[in-house]
Amino acid sequence: MRFWNAVAAVTLKDLRTELRGRELLPALAQFIVLALVISNFAFDMTPGITVHLSPGVLWLVLTFAGLVAFGRTFAAEKESGSLEAMLLTPAGPSAVFAGKALAAAVFLACCEAVLLPALAVVLGSPIDAQVVASVLLATVGMAALGSLFAALAAQTRARELLLPVLALPLWIPFVVVGGRAVQAAMAGQPIGGQGLFHQPLAVLLDFDILFLVVASLAARFVLED
Amino acid sequence: MSDNDLAENRRLYVLSGLALAAMAVASWFIFVYAPQDALQGPVQRIFYLHVSSAIAAFACFAVVVGGSVAYLWRESAAGDRLGRAAAHTGLVFTTVCFLMGVIWAKPIWNWNPLDTWDARLTSTAALWVIYSAYLLVRRFAPSGRIAARLAAVVGIIGFVDIPVVYFSVEWWRTLHPGPTLTSLSGPQMPAPMVWAFLVTQAAVFFLAYVLVRIRYRLEQRKDEREAREVAAQLLPAREAR
Repeated sequence: MRFWNAVAAVTLKDLRTELRGRELLPALAQFIVLALVISNFAFDMTPGITVHLSPGVLWLVLTFAGLVAFGRTFAAEKESGSLEAMLLTPAGPSAVFAGKALAAAVFLACCEAVLLPALAVVLGSPIDAQVVASVLLATVGMAALGSLFAALAAQTRARELLLPVLALPLWIPFVVVGGRAVQAAMAGQPIGGQGLFHQPLAVLLDFDILFLVVASLAARFVLED
Repeated sequence: MSDNDLAENRRLYVLSGLALAAMAVASWFIFVYAPQDALQGPVQRIFYLHVSSAIAAFACFAVVVGGSVAYLWRESAAGDRLGRAAAHTGLVFTTVCFLMGVIWAKPIWNWNPLDTWDARLTSTAALWVIYSAYLLVRRFAPSGRIAARLAAVVGIIGFVDIPVVYFSVEWWRTLHPGPTLTSLSGPQMPAPMVWAFLVTQAAVFFLAYVLVRIRYRLEQRKDEREAREVAAQLLPAREAR
C-alpha cells in the first residue's frame, strides 16, 4: 500500500505542478495543431487520400508529441535538482518512476484529447471507439518505455538527442499494431490476419503488460544512486 | 608494457591471421565448392555470408545481454567491457548482413523499398539502431559506473524488444523467404551447399570471436589508462599531505 501511496503522491505532484504552471500542455496542444496544419500542406491533402494518410499522420504526431512530453517530465526534475531529492525519500526509485510514468501517460492522454478532435476537424477523419481505444492502449506502453528512457537520457549530456534514438525503435510494435487498428477503423474495414492478431487491441494490451513489467524492473537500475 | 601484455598482443596477431585464413577457406567453399543455384544463378552465393553474419550478429548481441546482466547483477567490469566489445562487433556484422541483403534483393525482388519492409529487415534495422544507441549512451553519459549501468539497461531492453518487433511486423507484411536450413523435412538444399554454409558459419563465428577479443583488449587498455589518469590526479594531493 505504501508503494501505491508514493506513486499517487508523485503523480499528483506532477499534475498539480502542470495545473499551476500551465507550461507543457498548452505548448503541446499548439505543437499538435501546428503539426496537423503542416502535414496538410506537406501531403497536399485531397479528400481521396486523406483516408490513407490520416492514420499515419495521427501516429507521427503522437510519437513526436510523446517524445516532447516524456522528455520534459524528467528534464524539468533534473534541472531543478528535485529528482535527487525525490530519490532520497523512502519512496524508492520504482515508486518514483511509476508515478512519473503515470503522470506522463496522463499528459499524453490530454494530447490525444486535442489530437483526435483536431484530426476530425482538419482532415475530416472519422474517430470511433476503436480509434480511441487503440490510441489509449498504446499510450500506456509508450509511456512506460518513454519515461524509462527519458529518465535514462536525463542523466546524460545530450538528452534531447538520445531520447528519440532510444525510444523510437522500441515504440515500433505499438505503431505497427496501433497503426493497423486505426487504419482499419478509419477505413471501416475488418482487420485481416489470423489468430491473436485478429484483435489488435488485445495485442496492444499484451505489449502494455510486457513493457510495464520490463520498465518497472529496469527503473531501479536507471534511477539508482 | 609487461610481458603479459606482449604475450596477449602476440596471441591476438596469431588469432587474426587464423581468422583471415578461415575466411579464405570459407570463400573457397562459397565460390568454388558450392554448386551454382539453378534459379538465381551466382547471386545466390551471397546467401552464405548473409545468413551467417546475421546469426553471428545475433550471437554478439546475446553476448551484450550476458555482459549487461553480469554488470547489473555483480557490477562486473569485465562484463561491461565484454558488452562494449560485442556491441561493436555485432554492429559490424549487422551492417554486413544488411548490405549483402540489399545486393541480393536487387535482382531477386527487384528491390523496391516500399514493399521490402518485411519483418526481418525491420527487426534487423531496429537491432542496428538500438545497439548504436547502446554505444551512444556510453558516449553521452558521464563516464564510469553511470555509463555502464545505463547502457546495460539499454542492452537488455533492446534485446527483449527485438522478437516483439519481429512478430508485429511479420503480422503486418512479410516477403522474406522462410527458413531453408531448419525446416521440418530436413535442409531444403543440396549437401554441398549445406557444407559450404556450415564452413562459412564456423569461419564467421571465429572471426566474430577474434574481433570481440581484440575489441575487449582495446577497451581494457582504455579502462587501464583512465584508471592511471585518475590515480595521477590523486597522487599530488597525497604527496602534499
